[in-house]
Amino acid sequence: MVATFLPLIFSPVAYFLGKRKGINILTWFSFGILGLSTIFVIIPSIGIGSGGTYQEVFQWSQLGHFGLKLDGLSIPFAITIYVLSTVMVLYSKPYMIRKILREYEKTKTDINTKIDSVGDEGDQTFDNTGNNSILVLSDNQKLFLNSQMGLYFALYLAFSMGMLGTILATNLVEFYAFFELMLVPTFFLIAFFGYGNRRRVTFVFFFWSAVGALILLLGLLAIGFFTGGFDYDIIKTNAYKIPLNWIDLIIFSIMIGFGIKLGLLFLHIWLPDTYTLSPTPISILISSAMTGIGAYGIVRIWLDFLSSHYAGYGVYLEIWGVATMVFGGAMALMQNDIKKVLAYSSISSMGYILFGLGSESILGISGAILLYVTHGLGKALLFMMAGSIILQTGTRNLDKLGGLASKMPYTAVFTMIGALTIMGVPITSGFMAEWVLFNGALQGAIVNHWDSLKVIAFTLAMLTTVLTSAYILWLYKRIFYGVVPETLKNVGDKSGYVIVTMGVLAAFTLILGIYPDMFYKPIVSYVDNLYSHTSGIVHLKQKIGSQTTLKVSGQLKENFGNLKESPDLQIKPNSGMYLLGNSIYF
Amino acid sequence: MVQNETIGFVGLGVNAWLVWMLPFIGAALIPALKNKSERIKSYVAVGFSILSALFALSILPLGLAGKEIHSQIPWFSALNLNAGVLADPLGIVMSNLVAWISVSILVYSISYMHGEKSIIRYWFFMLFFIGSMQLIVLSDNLLMVFFGWEGVGLASYALIGFWYSDKKKDYVGKEGNVAWGIPMWTSPTHAGIKAFLFNRVGDIMMLTGMFLIFAYAGTFGFKELLSDHTWAQEMMKQNLLIPAAVLLFGGAIGKSAQFPLNEWLVDAMTGPSSVSALIHAATMVKAGVFLVARIGPLFFALAVFNISQFFEIVAWVGGITAFLLATQALVNPEIKKVLAYSTGSQIGYMMMALGIAGLSTHFVDGYTAGFFHMISHALFKASLFMAAGAILHNVGSRFMYDMGGLRKNMKKTYLFMFLSSLSLAAAPLITSGFWSKDAIFASLLESNYSLSPYLFALAVIVAVLTAFYTFRMVGLTFFGKPSKNIVELEAKGHRVHEVDRIMWMPFAILAVASIAIGLVGFAFEGQIHNLFAYYLSNTFGIVDGKIMSSSPTLSKSTSQSSNINNNGISEGKNTGFLNLNPIAALSSVGAFGIGGYLGYLFYIQRKVDPNIIQENAVSRALWKFLYNRWYLNSFWYWIGAVIQLALYRKIYKYFEGVIVSGVNPAFRYSMIFMSKVVKVSQTGSIQTYLFVFSAGIIVIAMLLLM
Repeated sequence: MVATFLPLIFSPVAYFLGKRKGINILTWFSFGILGLSTIFVIIPSIGIGSGGTYQEVFQWSQLGHFGLKLDGLSIPFAITIYVLSTVMVLYSKPYMIRKILREYEKTKTDINTKIDSVGDEGDQTFDNTGNNSILVLSDNQKLFLNSQMGLYFALYLAFSMGMLGTILATNLVEFYAFFELMLVPTFFLIAFFGYGNRRRVTFVFFFWSAVGALILLLGLLAIGFFTGGFDYDIIKTNAYKIPLNWIDLIIFSIMIGFGIKLGLLFLHIWLPDTYTLSPTPISILISSAMTGIGAYGIVRIWLDFLSSHYAGYGVYLEIWGVATMVFGGAMALMQNDIKKVLAYSSISSMGYILFGLGSESILGISGAILLYVTHGLGKALLFMMAGSIILQTGTRNLDKLGGLASKMPYTAVFTMIGALTIMGVPITSGFMAEWVLFNGALQGAIVNHWDSLKVIAFTLAMLTTVLTSAYILWLYKRIFYGVVPETLKNVGDKSGYVIVTMGVLAAFTLILGIYPDMFYKPIVSYVDNLYSHTSGIVHLKQKIGSQTTLKVSGQLKENFGNLKESPDLQIKPNSGMYLLGNSIYF
Repeated sequence: MVQNETIGFVGLGVNAWLVWMLPFIGAALIPALKNKSERIKSYVAVGFSILSALFALSILPLGLAGKEIHSQIPWFSALNLNAGVLADPLGIVMSNLVAWISVSILVYSISYMHGEKSIIRYWFFMLFFIGSMQLIVLSDNLLMVFFGWEGVGLASYALIGFWYSDKKKDYVGKEGNVAWGIPMWTSPTHAGIKAFLFNRVGDIMMLTGMFLIFAYAGTFGFKELLSDHTWAQEMMKQNLLIPAAVLLFGGAIGKSAQFPLNEWLVDAMTGPSSVSALIHAATMVKAGVFLVARIGPLFFALAVFNISQFFEIVAWVGGITAFLLATQALVNPEIKKVLAYSTGSQIGYMMMALGIAGLSTHFVDGYTAGFFHMISHALFKASLFMAAGAILHNVGSRFMYDMGGLRKNMKKTYLFMFLSSLSLAAAPLITSGFWSKDAIFASLLESNYSLSPYLFALAVIVAVLTAFYTFRMVGLTFFGKPSKNIVELEAKGHRVHEVDRIMWMPFAILAVASIAIGLVGFAFEGQIHNLFAYYLSNTFGIVDGKIMSSSPTLSKSTSQSSNINNNGISEGKNTGFLNLNPIAALSSVGAFGIGGYLGYLFYIQRKVDPNIIQENAVSRALWKFLYNRWYLNSFWYWIGAVIQLALYRKIYKYFEGVIVSGVNPAFRYSMIFMSKVVKVSQTGSIQTYLFVFSAGIIVIAMLLLM
């Protein structure tokens, strides 16, 4: 409870503190609040370990009880959100100072010049000094800076509170309220501190999110109406009361609502520009923490509450997920703006998560949930790199960058760790999430009698990991390899805040990659409980064996289709590969 | 935490763990030495590799005695997975090979990389690589193998692109040569990405294979897979065992640069020569062979059913690769690339041997032959690469036509490179290469696989080609007149000189070792043969000539006292002079003679000008075909990059650019239109409003009254 509302209560305080006391105190104050809240979240999580829940419930209105609950599903989300928010406070400091000061100069010098063109970042006036904390500021500047930073952190705290509230809510109305609440600070954060044509982008972002939320609301209200209450417990026990002809509609509204949040294919319209033009710390929180709440919502409201109506839909989720993965990856290859590459990469990663959620197996769903955590860490690292590059060089354009590995060695190393996380290479947490996810997906396909769509989706998804590696490595190459352009001779790892925060996140992803148990224990036991009595889902310890009945001919065709996907086989007519079907074993 | 399962060897489990952990610890420490001198960094790095090698050595007696260490700790409790090391004879021998070759190459790089700016990165990744490689060798389950697998891939990526500034001198390939519109020269960072992606394709196949097995067995552990057969029976019933095995082999194809994923290895030569020697010749590319050696007996033993298709695929992939890359090596002008082609080709031999093992009743023979060739190849190829590095260091060009006549100035390099080359070309009786190749030939001959004569013919042709390109390489480099490049260098006052002792000692040792093994080749081979016969029968129940009919009992903690009947091992073999199979030996000698003589004629004696090949249209076309790598590289680029990128560009332009970004304006304009429609009613005149208002009231009142 404290954890959720501490930031909200203190967010006005932050504003005034910023005005009066200056940035340093403000930064550490925000950091302290969020750090404290994070600890309040983590302590009960440790107690829970595997299986249990931690809950605080209060009497509310006729809509039900107002409660906050930590369980196996919300622990990874809550911890990720707060750890990222906390770390990002420190990262914000140098970044936002630079950003606000440049804004200040702009408004003073060329007040008449409209800043409408996308990607205009004032390259010409850039001085390449990098570290701002040593700059001597005029009084006017200082005043402007302090009040702006106060505003920034006030909104920032409210934003993190909104995200956590969404995760911990125990009531659909409460969930929805927080879900909308986190939009408001984001709206202002982008509108006040964004780049380029930020107002238009903000409206697009807000408009799409609001539309998604409204469609979602219809579904939520329908659930509440049929089950006779909005409390999660009531819904869960009464879920069977929902008439069958409404189920599809409800699921549709949930998928559209959360699909917009996740930025799935066809619903991603708001995403690339928003990520590109918001200030980098906010991009990080939106990309790493906020969009994933869509995944949380899908798991909680569909997979959990409507768990008996999950099996059978999986294949559609998988197809949509794979389409999103491929689309995001392919589009990421087409960009020459760092943040746009990362934006499309986020779309692709959300596709992975959706693919895992559609796997119809315990492992697949668990992997998807861990992928949220690991994507949060990895994408945060990459966006921090982007922010650091913007901070140092003043440009996001990949054509103007190159060879920075020698200039910014620490950034290069931490970025590499982030890149490996996104690519899913051990020993980062990315691999731990991805292998469990794909393993589950394959199990799901096998148990579904080698359902051809599922097999194809699985094969494509595996191949997409190559695509993911390709665009990430190419991005890395264009930034860090090659010859340093003349204009960038003076850049370097100059801000300690940036380096340290990146190092912390990199350490997290490595620890999780070697020892993922701390998250997997609660996740797996939660998901396992969810489906302990449901058929059609691959269970944890389930070995696929005699219980699988097979349509022999169809299955053989699948085998062969599967084989054709792998380019290593030289299929020779007499090698027996073709004879697989009519060999002696049948 | 460590539970040692092998009775009587408590404590030795720690040794096996440390073999792979120490290099990682060293790698983690290296960045902390940032402010220390280069000398200290080098000593620490080499020190850790030696420590790890000593621990490997400490378990060697155990391995030679046919015993094993298996120790596990809990790792992933949610899925009930354990982490563990499995040091069985196979793992222990391989581990020692890796460890000691690594030590020699690390010593070599003290001098070779002297003065390099990013030396920390170099040592970090070298140690990281050794750790990962040992992890592959000593893991007891597929998941940890995959950890090491990706670790070596990462180190390989990082070290191929070590010179990330992409200077022209670090490129490979001849600039300006374009095949099918694809440039055939590559920058280091590009080559790194290429290697990573090609490996990734192999890796996803391997992962899929792992998942398939996991889905049916619920475990990744080698021991667990072996102790319970039901999963294999179930998979066999559904015809999945062979696909799963083949998918696992897909990983080996990627990592060992076998056809069709062979193209990355040649471009990987952009890395420093020490890297090429360690990663792209002696160890990492052998990981694929090792994987087959790990899982091959498992499948062979498990499948009481017929699983020969898997081994057929392994054998033919090996055979085709051996031939494909040997032909390409014939025409390439770059010394390191010739060696790279040769590496892929020789690995093809090993795959062929491992494949044929599963197709013959004498599983042990083929298995031993493959492994023996791996050992001898690791020795001489590492030596060759280091010697080539010494030459590059001096000459400053990667092209062999920029060398020539070096034997006078670099006597030691010449001597030892020549010795290693003899081993590569398989000079009869005195080189390890001869014995191992002969063993492969023999196992091909004695197999009862119907197509094995074709494989044998292929193997002999490859042997001829190998001898030829080896002599070509030696001839172009060390014989003839000094090239223009060298004359110019000398004119500038840069004398081509012998390299210092730290550099030539390592490759000298390896070259001498490869000859030494050659001198006692038959005995050495016999030793390995016995060891593996014992290992295979003990662990997998594979006895020469047949598979044990009863399911093998696998918890062989009593292996010390086990008494396996070894009588069957040498029976049924055509034993002649020094255990040689006469046909195999004769064809091997013949191949060396023909190939070697031609090479001698063209490139050492230089009686015939090699350029005659350009005079004939057919041979010129053939030359071009080989020179452009059978156009496989271009093929992959078209499939993997060009076509896909064009497609994505279209999607980006039309779908993303027109439709998706059109949605927002469409909304905007429709809203504006709506507001215009609504605006019509906003006339602004009070009378109208009042009229509508009162009309509304009347309607409502009427409704209520009704």
